[in-house]
Amino acid sequence: MTACTGIFAVSCSGEQPKEAMTLQRERQLNQFLAGVERRALRFAEIAVRDRDEALDLVQDAMIKLARNYAANPEQEWTPLFYRILQNGIRDWHRRQIVRNRVMAWFGRPADAEDDYDPVAQAPDPMGRTPEEQIEARQAMQVLEHAVAGLPARQREAFMLRTLEGLGVAETAIAMGCSEGSVKTHYSRAVHTLRDMLGEHWQ
Amino acid sequence: MKRPLDEKELTVQAKALFDDSVERLDAATLSRLNQGRQQALQATRETGSGGEWARWVPAGGLAAAAVVAVVVWQGAPVERSAPAAGTATDFEIMLSEDSLDMLEDLEFYSWIDMANLDSEDDVG
Repeated sequence: MTACTGIFAVSCSGEQPKEAMTLQRERQLNQFLAGVERRALRFAEIAVRDRDEALDLVQDAMIKLARNYAANPEQEWTPLFYRILQNGIRDWHRRQIVRNRVMAWFGRPADAEDDYDPVAQAPDPMGRTPEEQIEARQAMQVLEHAVAGLPARQREAFMLRTLEGLGVAETAIAMGCSEGSVKTHYSRAVHTLRDMLGEHWQ
Repeated sequence: MKRPLDEKELTVQAKALFDDSVERLDAATLSRLNQGRQQALQATRETGSGGEWARWVPAGGLAAAAVVAVVVWQGAPVERSAPAAGTATDFEIMLSEDSLDMLEDLEFYSWIDMANLDSEDDVG
């Protein structure tokens, strides 16, 4: 027996593609988030230097993207996602500044950041020797330390352009500024990092 | 003496290190990322189910505002400026049925007029 006959055919044929479209959209969004989540976590982790906080920020960004921008064209998701994440990171830094001031007022020292090593305990998937692993981790630590020391806008431009591989236009959307500003911030970041990392990486 | 890194070397090496650190994320972290993604997708479903009527709320609000605006506009006392007396009178005359009838009999009135003039000449 056919389910969609007579007057119901209109209703059924109207609902079916819509439902299918929603499911397809959800699959696309799932695929997008699965593809971006690891890099986004490391991105946030370098910025805030705390894995748990970074996980919260990434999850928050994923929920906001899904809730507010799932209907947007798929090609807009990457810059939108990183814009949301960037905003979350900036808010996090603002809260940290307030928190540190309160802590300083009560006489407690701020958290020691130099002990931070988020990937030190992870097994190496490339089968490198322990010495090579240590060398790579140390180089990454140096990079993270140098990137974390950049001014916020320079750090954002460098990380989005170099580490995430976004184009200038996408980076501008993610940062909420002009393409000219992206180029300026990126150029300054590269200049600073070349000076800072030159002696470590050769 | 060490030479400074050029931009290409810096970006290639930085990206390689970053990619390497992404690959080395542990299973517990990946699991938490997966949980976060599922929650985000759940948020999409909730927005989708609630969005059917919620999508019409702004449109409904606009429609209601438009209705109120029209009612207020229609109900407001309208001050009509009186048109110039001459113009109004001309229009009334032009549009009155009598004058149109008169136009139809224009030849007749013209003949009467001429006849009157002739009779006056005869008398004079």
